Amino acid sequence: MQNKIMRKTTQQSYITRMVNVVNYIQKNLDNELTLEELAQQANFSSYHFHRIFSGMLGESVKELIRRLRLERAAIQLKTSRASILSISLAAGYESDMAFSRAFKARSGVQPSKFRKSEQARFPCLSSSSVRYVTNEHISSFEPFIDKELNMNVMIKQVDDILVACVSHQGPYQECGHAWDTLCSTLAPEGLLGGDAKMIGVSYDDPDVVAPELLRYEACISVEQEFSTTDDIKFKSITGGSYAVTTHIGPYQKLHETYQKFFGQWLSQSDYESADKPCFEVYLNDPESTEPEDLITDIYLPLKEQEHG
Amino acid sequence: MDKIDLFKLHKADYIAPKTPQTCYVANAHYLTINGIGGPGEDNFNDAVAALYAVAYTVKMTRKKMALGDYVICKLEARYWSEKQKCLSEVDKSQWNWQLMIRTPATVEVSDIVQAANVLTDKGKTKSVNKVKLIEHEFSHCIQMLHIGPYEEESRTIEQMAAYAKDQQLVSIGEHCEIYISDPRRIPAERLKTILRMPLSNSHGS
Repeated sequence: MQNKIMRKTTQQSYITRMVNVVNYIQKNLDNELTLEELAQQANFSSYHFHRIFSGMLGESVKELIRRLRLERAAIQLKTSRASILSISLAAGYESDMAFSRAFKARSGVQPSKFRKSEQARFPCLSSSSVRYVTNEHISSFEPFIDKELNMNVMIKQVDDILVACVSHQGPYQECGHAWDTLCSTLAPEGLLGGDAKMIGVSYDDPDVVAPELLRYEACISVEQEFSTTDDIKFKSITGGSYAVTTHIGPYQKLHETYQKFFGQWLSQSDYESADKPCFEVYLNDPESTEPEDLITDIYLPLKEQEHG
Repeated sequence: MDKIDLFKLHKADYIAPKTPQTCYVANAHYLTINGIGGPGEDNFNDAVAALYAVAYTVKMTRKKMALGDYVICKLEARYWSEKQKCLSEVDKSQWNWQLMIRTPATVEVSDIVQAANVLTDKGKTKSVNKVKLIEHEFSHCIQMLHIGPYEEESRTIEQMAAYAKDQQLVSIGEHCEIYISDPRRIPAERLKTILRMPLSNSHGS
């Protein structure tokens, strides 16, 4: 019972904090908003802020800003005499052409028609209930949450893990060559098999970072360092508290599980994410396993809880 | 260079029909490890780990030496009893088994020995030294897909036995399995296993 109440409170606090972020976005729609700046507004770790945001709101920061700017433009079209070009520029578009296209894609009519029409309303299509508002503040919102959050999560204390690793930069799907280099270097050393864990560390959220800039490390746990080629580095994956959930299915769908894990599970839990990357442990061989049978444990780093 | 996938290349050897069907599995190379005891017990799991450790070490070492790449095949197992009895009449602790991973013919005994040596050096299970490279011909077999817990295989085996009797085929008394699903996460009722019943040649069609 107490647990339930506590949960509600934490979720409330995630919502309250996210409301601050959303209000900040509304007030600063004309500025370039960085993720760091937004995360600071509500004391979120900037590392995982974006995943919590898009998981809770059902749209990314970029999408929300774009949508709010369009909603604001719709109001301006109806209530002001400003030219469509100046409204377009204020909405962040380079030309009235581009603005018209985006506007029509959402509302079904051109801005000029929309302006003249008495009936036309700008549709508020979004998963969350956040809308553009003037002269008022949002004080709460319904987070975008699956009807049933079917997620098994375990909290684990993890020791530091020494790993041999090979870095990869580029689309996550192309990390195979890093794995080839790593495995073919470790195999002749007798370091595959047994307790050796196959671990992937993804540093970036593919919703935020361009595919060619995504950073990834293919890692295999080892007992000790050894001298080897330059491609192989050694590092320690920092231990501590981790929330662990299992993703079953293709690697291409991992981001969906991340989204749920951060936006829904974490925001309803009593935990805060820590400022370090998640890691993934691969439990089977993607070469000989059907994609839908692939098993991946996702480790989400947590801040140590302060206990009274 | 293309990656060899023996499991896909020899699809006919791994047919998994819903009703019993005969097939012919020609001579092939396998990495194997033998033991006695119930599947899932410690020495069995240790053997599985040793077999995979050798399989991946050989594969990646050969890949590094540009000797060709291949996919590690599904785990297979042969079960039999010393006393020529039907397995269901023998206590699990008396089951003999041979775990197998089909391997390209280019893999050599020296690869296996070297893999076992480096793995032993690094303190992995000593059972890696029991892994052998063999050739085996299953020859004529009856095969059928079993869906469900391993413990419920008898209902599938009964169907295969009835089919054998009907077709006047005689089993050599060995029971083989090819593990399609990962028992660590797939719920028991959805586990897929190909059951294989090798047939005695003298009565074979």
